[in-house]
Amino acid sequence: MTETARTPETAASSVRRALAAPFTKRAWAELGYTVTSFLLAVAAVTFIVPMLENGIFWAVSTTPVRKLGTAARFLARAQLGEDIPAPPPLRPVSYVKVATPDAAVAAGLAKTVAAAGGRAREWETKPGLTTSYLPPSQVAGLAAAAGVAFTAVVPRNELANYFGTRIRDSAGWRARAYFLVKLPLAALAMSVIAVRWAGGLFLVTFPAWRALGLRGFGGLGADNSLAAVLLGILLLFSAPWATHALTRADLWLMRGLLVGSGSSAQRIQVLEQSRARVVDDSAARLRGIERDLHDGTQAQLVAVAMKLGLARDKLYDPSSVDLARVTQLVEDAHRGALEAIADLRTLARGIHPPVLDNGLADALATLADRSAVPVELITDIQERPSAAIETIAYFSAAELLANVARHSGARRATLEAVHVPGLLRVRVTDDGAGGAKPTQNGGLRGLAERVRTVDGRIEISSPHGGPTTVTVELPSHA
Amino acid sequence: MRIVIAEDSAVIRAGLKEILADRGHEIVAAVGDAEALLKAVETHDPDVAIVDVRMPPHHTDEGLRAAIAIRRAYPKVGILVFSQYIETRYASDLLSMRSGGVGYLLKDRVADVTEFTDAITRVAAGGTALDPEVVTGLLRATRHTAVLDALTARERDVLALMAEGRSNAAIADRFKVSERAVEKHVGNIFAKLGLPPSDEDHRRVLAVLAFIGER
Repeated sequence: MTETARTPETAASSVRRALAAPFTKRAWAELGYTVTSFLLAVAAVTFIVPMLENGIFWAVSTTPVRKLGTAARFLARAQLGEDIPAPPPLRPVSYVKVATPDAAVAAGLAKTVAAAGGRAREWETKPGLTTSYLPPSQVAGLAAAAGVAFTAVVPRNELANYFGTRIRDSAGWRARAYFLVKLPLAALAMSVIAVRWAGGLFLVTFPAWRALGLRGFGGLGADNSLAAVLLGILLLFSAPWATHALTRADLWLMRGLLVGSGSSAQRIQVLEQSRARVVDDSAARLRGIERDLHDGTQAQLVAVAMKLGLARDKLYDPSSVDLARVTQLVEDAHRGALEAIADLRTLARGIHPPVLDNGLADALATLADRSAVPVELITDIQERPSAAIETIAYFSAAELLANVARHSGARRATLEAVHVPGLLRVRVTDDGAGGAKPTQNGGLRGLAERVRTVDGRIEISSPHGGPTTVTVELPSHA
Repeated sequence: MRIVIAEDSAVIRAGLKEILADRGHEIVAAVGDAEALLKAVETHDPDVAIVDVRMPPHHTDEGLRAAIAIRRAYPKVGILVFSQYIETRYASDLLSMRSGGVGYLLKDRVADVTEFTDAITRVAAGGTALDPEVVTGLLRATRHTAVLDALTARERDVLALMAEGRSNAAIADRFKVSERAVEKHVGNIFAKLGLPPSDEDHRRVLAVLAFIGER
């Protein structure tokens, strides 16, 4: 099922876009980001490298290093509108020693602790174990619940917990790795600025410099002023693309290293949270549907029944029928019934749009047609994703298009849905005012949460002045 | 009759006003939440208050709690609670204070205009008007208590219809028996429930409340 609906002016508009590239807000934002993130990287590496000296330094530098990571994510959000999720907070190691009279008991407890998301190491010299990541009270509880006869549950001292927590913090190590790789990348990005932006500007204005008395520069002289200007134009127009590519690389690096790591304990935590969200989300949706039915359709129908009841009573006595009044009542009831039907239709579509049964492409086409802002639709869906994914993709697109119509002031928008093996990508771009960000209880936040329930992700790029691009990526099957 | 309406749905509120005005009642206030209801009852001292169970802000049982408060503060004001669902717990909460002048109907019943306005009249006069569904629910919950066990099946049916607020004539009509027969059943019910001889209407209310109180 392939459907590509491009307007004929696309080729012309892409040329226009290339010409306008150095002058878009996004290009300036990326230029600014290159400079600030370079300064941050220099500062960070200056701090991190000496702190690699020994274990004590590792521990004390972990919190500042995490703060540097936060600063890097802040720059990406403030200057580029890119939302990089923060890693989970420092997870206290809280070592607990459990001494038992029996080695088999220690082995059993070790399994219980591991199942509860902690870590356990059995002692070699005597029966017992040291657990980590679970608070002492929980370890004691697990031991008691498992009927383990233990001789002592002793929290290891605070200092050991302090160092253990910080030295073992994977987010801290990943942040260090990020800045060590980021620095050369940032240096390269700065050289792009020096050569392409500044150099380009210099060459484009070379005749002016000559007029001001500059005799020659490198191999350039009076004869090849024109060549200099042309080279300058080339450099200047290629500059934003180079900066853009390097910014992309940086963001990719951030997504790899400055977000949560993939340890299984954290994965379990993430899954638990997402399951809780799924449950909350569906309970809230059911409540919403019940409220809509109760306040809307049901009330409408009660009112219809009341009017018909009154009309019927009036007709019972044929000798004194006030025909005008009865007609009015029936007309009111008729109108009420039509409104109830319309309400019901809207509600049903909100639960499951019937057109979705024909596939996502058809459903999105309907959505695009209904949008208040003109929408260019591009779909390439060869194979149908699972029903749950189609539904989430549909409601994501609906929410994003509604946002475009409500907030952006855009004149046109593009809705793109592409299914490559394993991944469904839905992207909505508009030429509006930008500055979209997820707020508490806002639509984008709710969308992000729903997308996360199926391990999808959402990427928002919305610098002030626009354009806004929101990309939702979902696994094909959930 | 002077009536206060508390109903948050504007559509239903308008419908109620139309029906009641059509039957010559005076709507002294029509409000959309429990707080305004309490104020309206205080200001207007109506004969009856018609109260929706679910109202803002939480849409749970605000109306019911307001109804109970009104029964405490103004025992003379008849209360007709109505809602789109029947919750037996709500009904017994409301009826647990032993006095008449109370009703609990499904919103659907409003469509039968005459029955609905009759119910309001009964409630205003200190009688009861319980929805058949409420009665069924209460009977189910009451089935195994000593009081009901003492009644015959027919007497239980008669009691259920009494709870709905039916007259002996209406009950006789329903069961296709003579009014005399119904009177006999009612007398037996009064005796089995140990209700002292007094004004017939009052005893009917007490009988209904006794069986509800048995839950």
